[in-house]
Amino acid sequence: MKISREWLQRYFEKPLPDATPLADALTFHAFEIDSIENDILDVKITANRGHDCLNHRGIAKELSAILEIPMKGDPLRQEAALTPKTEEVSVHIQDSLCTRYIAGYVRGVKVGPSPDWLRKAVENIGQRSINNVVDATNFVMFDIGQPLHAFDAGQLQKNTENGSLYKIGVRRARAGEKLLALDDREYTLTDAMLVITDHNSDAGIGIAGVKGGKPAGISEATTDIIIESANFDGITTRKIAAALKLRTDASSRYEQVISPELCAYGMRAVADLIVQVAGGEIVGFADVYPQKQQQKAVRATTAEINAILGSEYAEADVASALTRLDLEFTKQADAFVVEPPLERLDLTIPEDIAEEVGRLYGYDKIEATPLPPMPSQPEVNPNFYAAEHAREEYIAQGYSEVFTSVFADKGERVIANKVDGVRPFLRTTLVDGLKDAYEKNRLTKDLLGLAEVKLFEIGTIWKGEKEHLMLGIVDKDGVREEALSTMQRGVASMHYENVPLSQAERFQPFSKYPFIVRDIALWTSAEVKPEEILKIIRTNAGDLLVRSEKFDEFKKGEKISYAFRLVFQSFDTTLTDLDANGRMESIAKALKATGFEIR
Amino acid sequence: MRGHIHPISSLIREANRIFFEMGFTFAEGPLVESEWYNFDALNVPKDHPARDMQDTFFIKGEKEMVLRTHTSPVQVRYMESQMKAGILPPYRIIVPGKIFRNEATDMTHEAEFFQIEGLVVDTEVSLAQLKWTIDTFLNSLFKNVSVETRFRPSFFPFTEPSVEVDMRLVGESAPEKLRGKWIEMMGAGMIHPNVLKNAGVDPSKYRGFAFGMGLDRLAILRWSIDDIRLMHSADLRFINQF
Repeated sequence: MKISREWLQRYFEKPLPDATPLADALTFHAFEIDSIENDILDVKITANRGHDCLNHRGIAKELSAILEIPMKGDPLRQEAALTPKTEEVSVHIQDSLCTRYIAGYVRGVKVGPSPDWLRKAVENIGQRSINNVVDATNFVMFDIGQPLHAFDAGQLQKNTENGSLYKIGVRRARAGEKLLALDDREYTLTDAMLVITDHNSDAGIGIAGVKGGKPAGISEATTDIIIESANFDGITTRKIAAALKLRTDASSRYEQVISPELCAYGMRAVADLIVQVAGGEIVGFADVYPQKQQQKAVRATTAEINAILGSEYAEADVASALTRLDLEFTKQADAFVVEPPLERLDLTIPEDIAEEVGRLYGYDKIEATPLPPMPSQPEVNPNFYAAEHAREEYIAQGYSEVFTSVFADKGERVIANKVDGVRPFLRTTLVDGLKDAYEKNRLTKDLLGLAEVKLFEIGTIWKGEKEHLMLGIVDKDGVREEALSTMQRGVASMHYENVPLSQAERFQPFSKYPFIVRDIALWTSAEVKPEEILKIIRTNAGDLLVRSEKFDEFKKGEKISYAFRLVFQSFDTTLTDLDANGRMESIAKALKATGFEIR
Repeated sequence: MRGHIHPISSLIREANRIFFEMGFTFAEGPLVESEWYNFDALNVPKDHPARDMQDTFFIKGEKEMVLRTHTSPVQVRYMESQMKAGILPPYRIIVPGKIFRNEATDMTHEAEFFQIEGLVVDTEVSLAQLKWTIDTFLNSLFKNVSVETRFRPSFFPFTEPSVEVDMRLVGESAPEKLRGKWIEMMGAGMIHPNVLKNAGVDPSKYRGFAFGMGLDRLAILRWSIDDIRLMHSADLRFINQF
């Protein structure tokens, strides 16, 4: 989530450090930072903290604890009174997937552009400024995390017959029910989704937790509004957003599960802000909250915390960490009994408390502590033993090990959702992959100076509803495979065999362009060593010569004929015969000049 | 003339050698895995946002079967089988093996790659021991250079607390491109009590830690490999360098 340093500053008297130290504080005590740009931090809120940290207040709270800078005030620790109540609007929840719904009725607003500070605040974090009322709802959501929505009351049916003038409903959508949303697209709903309705007419005015509807949207002509501050089931919201391919800032907060207690704070803040930036008067609130959130205290002892972390914190250290994090606790014997605040739905087990203490002080404070010796000898894994045995056996005979893909264009089992769509089957054999690999490598064997391509693979296949570990071999005699037999390669040992590791230091990138092979043969006297000739070849071949070696020799009387194989290749272009001819001429010229007789 | 070992096999061989000395058994499990072992048993319930963290291949016509997205299912399988055999902790295992992510492939993304998992369960196990274990492993692996690690807070459903482990190579002999630079290496943490419970281990008696890191990534760092797709290319221009 994009977090603005300027916005955070609203929570503190003392000037905050620069964006970079703020980012460091978060990185080592709370969250990874994806980027910092113009004092905007892109903070990667982890899935366990979506409850409380997808907003500026949550991040300010973290920074206050980490950097020990007191907050001016915390909106979630102040009273959010929903007064006055109003009878003019009523709320009708018909499905328990909506856990709370507060409607706020504000009359006489003047919809127009936002004041500069508000426009800038939302634009700074990458949002589009729409108008003062909509910006106010977005501001409060990004400020304290409660999604909010404003409906144009003038577009709702008035009907005082059954009590209140306006009625807001929450019900299951009907299969096939259509709703035109604020993005001007019509969505077809299913009965797994929830809609917000104008209860008097039963017309849908919003997709619950996801997006408001167009017909009751805020316009320049709007004067009376009904604000929604509600809570919806996380899983349902996630499914709705996924099914409609409509993930919004609201839905991404609900799907992380947020506290229904937050609704009141959101409503109070947004109603006051709307009156401040758009005028009008608050008529009142209607709150339906069938089952109040229950939060359990979490117990953890200092001993437990130290055992988990491997630390040596004193009671006072734990107490101080909890206080800095604003986690209220009482002491019962040696246990800290923590009462998580309303927004901290992530704190449920002692390990969570250990995490709070550990991360606040910093995991860098944890000293590496050796594991004690293991009382028993590790077991030798028969499959791995057999694989290692086979590996060494074939490598010793000049075979190189490859891994080919498990995906194939035929097989018995198939992937239902392969993203690239190609080769969706699980292979039933190593043979096809090895054949391809053999053919491919045959084309480059001269470049590698190989007389012959010899490959093996140890890999899994899926046949007859089972997984099998196979050994496949390919060479000039063809391709074959067999089950990797642990029997044949018997595992009597208590230890693995001591087989060599790769001695490679560093990978050298190779050219992807085709190469050209040329041979050159010459007569020389017996005293001349082939290495001397190779030296002349290499100095006169230029930098396109990537491989040169003697591949043949024979004696005739006093003279010897040597034949050399030269491979030319460029890193950035396809070589032509002309390129190779030029190089060969320079080489031949140099060799002749030295006195060799080119054959 | 000897042939060449695949760099991943060499890394697994080396990792196993280091961990064997530290008392770890090489454990394994199936590549086609049930959603129970791949997700639910690891404290990733259905419809939890955390399931979105991993793009999963599903097997057509087989209910709740997937290509495993990590080696962690073997944690639960191993503990479960030990408990059923009446063998109580301490447990120490590593799980090197192939894993899958439903991604389009490019220079840095592959759909199939390798991971190594580590698991320690005992009556007393701590984050401090996790740090020692990782430090010891990485310092043995990067023989001639000194390796430093640091933990950062993170979140995985199967560990609590969870950490991200960064590594840096220090000293004169470290490759210049990497020297002193922090690199994200792996996820780790203390095993969530629910995972122990799901495997039949009593979380009031035992604790554990687990870590998982990409072997392809480790190979890339170790040998300065520039394209992850080379691992499955079966190209001897690559393999024969090892």
